[in-house]
Amino acid sequence: MKAVCWMGKNNVETQTVEDPSIINPRDAIIRITRTAICGSDLHLYDGFIPTMESGDVLGHEFMGIVEETGSEVTNLRRGDRVVVPFTIACGNCFFCKKKLWAACDNSNPNAHLMEAAYGYSGSGLFGYSHMMGGYAGGQAQYARVPFADVGPLKIESDLSDEKVLFLSDIFPTGYMAAENAQIEPGDTVAVWGCGPVGQFTIASAFMLGAGRVIAIDRFEERLALARGLGAGTVNYAEEDGSVLTAIKDLTGGIGPDSCIDAVGLEAHSVELQGVYDTIKTALLMETDRPAVLRQAIQAVRKGGTVSIPGVYGGLIDKMPFGAAFGKGITMKMGQTNMHTYMKPLLERIEKGQIDPSYIISHRISLEEAPAMYKIWRDKKENVTKIVIDPWLQRAA
Amino acid sequence: MANLNEKPNAEPLPRQSGASIILNGRYLPPPEDEDGKLWVRTSALVQSPPQALYALWRNVELAPLWQEEIEEVVITGEKTSRWTMRSDDKVITWDSEILADQPAKRIAWRSIGGDSDNAGEVIFEQAPGGRGTYVIVLQEFRMGKLTSAWETLTGRNPKQAVIENLRHFKALAETGEIPRSQEAPHGKRGLIARFKRSLYGESIATPPGTKVA
Ligand SMILES: NC(=O)c1ccc[n+]([C@@H]2O[C@H](COP(=O)([O-])OP(=O)(O)OC[C@H]3O[C@@H](n4cnc5c(N)ncnc54)[C@H](O)[C@@H]3O)[C@@H](O)[C@H]2O)c1
Ligand SMILES: [Zn+2]
Ligand SMILES: [Zn+2]
Repeated sequence: MKAVCWMGKNNVETQTVEDPSIINPRDAIIRITRTAICGSDLHLYDGFIPTMESGDVLGHEFMGIVEETGSEVTNLRRGDRVVVPFTIACGNCFFCKKKLWAACDNSNPNAHLMEAAYGYSGSGLFGYSHMMGGYAGGQAQYARVPFADVGPLKIESDLSDEKVLFLSDIFPTGYMAAENAQIEPGDTVAVWGCGPVGQFTIASAFMLGAGRVIAIDRFEERLALARGLGAGTVNYAEEDGSVLTAIKDLTGGIGPDSCIDAVGLEAHSVELQGVYDTIKTALLMETDRPAVLRQAIQAVRKGGTVSIPGVYGGLIDKMPFGAAFGKGITMKMGQTNMHTYMKPLLERIEKGQIDPSYIISHRISLEEAPAMYKIWRDKKENVTKIVIDPWLQRAA
Repeated sequence: MANLNEKPNAEPLPRQSGASIILNGRYLPPPEDEDGKLWVRTSALVQSPPQALYALWRNVELAPLWQEEIEEVVITGEKTSRWTMRSDDKVITWDSEILADQPAKRIAWRSIGGDSDNAGEVIFEQAPGGRGTYVIVLQEFRMGKLTSAWETLTGRNPKQAVIENLRHFKALAETGEIPRSQEAPHGKRGLIARFKRSLYGESIATPPGTKVA
């Protein structure tokens, strides 16, 4: 089959690789009909996530048709149409029983690597380093899906792939980010980052009762999408003063009830601290660039909540922890507990409350993916989300 | 590997503390390594009753399904069995004897001759708050310095093997299989791929877990 492979920092290639096969009784093989490139893939592309190996198949947002099932999978049949969650969960362990699916104990074959780094291991993920399982990803024509009796969500209506594909990650991720923000009716919520995760975070914040959402980014096309959802926007690159001033001005000086960091470890910064973080990460004295996280902690109101869907991988420096303590804030974060959200969010799509396909800007073939990774990273061509049809024949 | 044949030195178990972690309310740290003796203690919270976990562990003939590099276990007596282990093309065998056997509670064993010198104990303990069963393993090996250095370089450090085996045991007991990704399709590997594979522990085959997929 054809697959997008990570070949080193800033280098991906579409190659022909072996087809996957059933290995365990609870596996299924999915013939992928649509897949996407995620902001999280950029952390791999830019070399921020350790234990990638050249040849690793990328991609964790995919859906398709069940091609084959293992002997213990009784809820799926060949021909079923499914969306696959990017976190792999067994459904049986202590954490799965608590619905902390992203903390599953039994889905990461390389748990010892993550234990060494974090103390405990999270669940396995598709196409996201050996430390997170070493599973082949879904930017390919087929994928092997472990614990297929627990994860994949069957799509029984005739909704198009594009309308349901983002149930594989970014819609649930945005929703959990809003839920983690502990929004009460009428609350003001500030969201950093208007990429795909930020978009669904904004939409979900309104679903959960936010009275006002302030959306922050520097790309006009993304800010325009956020305004389309009803948010007020701040372009941090154009602000004369700082984002913090803008946020204070917009909240009568008290700050937002909740601040959400939908940017993560590669935050771009126009201030001096950005230079500081770039130098430190280049010297390996810091692994992540937490400019947005610092701002979110500074900006949130006293007793407010900071929710962090943006990914962090390692060490960060100059955390304003005194501000966090002094204001008595709450912080919630983590990989998305996918399995909790997929079905209820599918129902919202079925009822027409949201059409997630509005963020798609590019539709491409597997061969075009390597060039698009660069465009996606540099946010060129007004890119807002790239969807791949793995069966489309179109040369790069 | 001559040093694999050193005389068994494992003290008969249970030792004073055995695998247990708390004695009279105090935390007991695991024993420390000394002159060629390695100890490892590891534990897991498993969603299955002690009786079922005991039964799975006690059925030593099934060990190749969940223990790394164990090729075969043959019952040789009421309390004895013969173990065969293969790493790459090196094969070693030893006999093992069960020292203590308390259904749903605890099993202790030691080797009684052959190419490996080990002793161990596993206890199954109801976790508080109905959250499952704690499975606690204490395993002791005696091995020459050379062996352990060699093992660490080429394969799993034996301590890590005990930790991984308990992880496999837990996965098998909870899910009916052992998670695996070593067969994942991939593109062209680079020059240092083999080194990285062993660094990631991926050069040790994940045990099969079940006989059928
Ligand atoms: N928690 C999870 O399970 C989960 C799942 C998916 C994605 N993520 C993470 O969410 C984050 C966003 O993903 P995405 O797909 O939307 O990526 P993206 O790269 O498309 O979006 C990030 C956006 O942040 C903006 N940004 C950068 N610096 C900023 C700053 N200083 N202030 C305000 N905005 C800034 C960028 O302009 C961009 O629009 C990533 O870190 C990704 O890894 C997490
Ligand atoms: Zn993603
Ligand atoms: Zn689990």
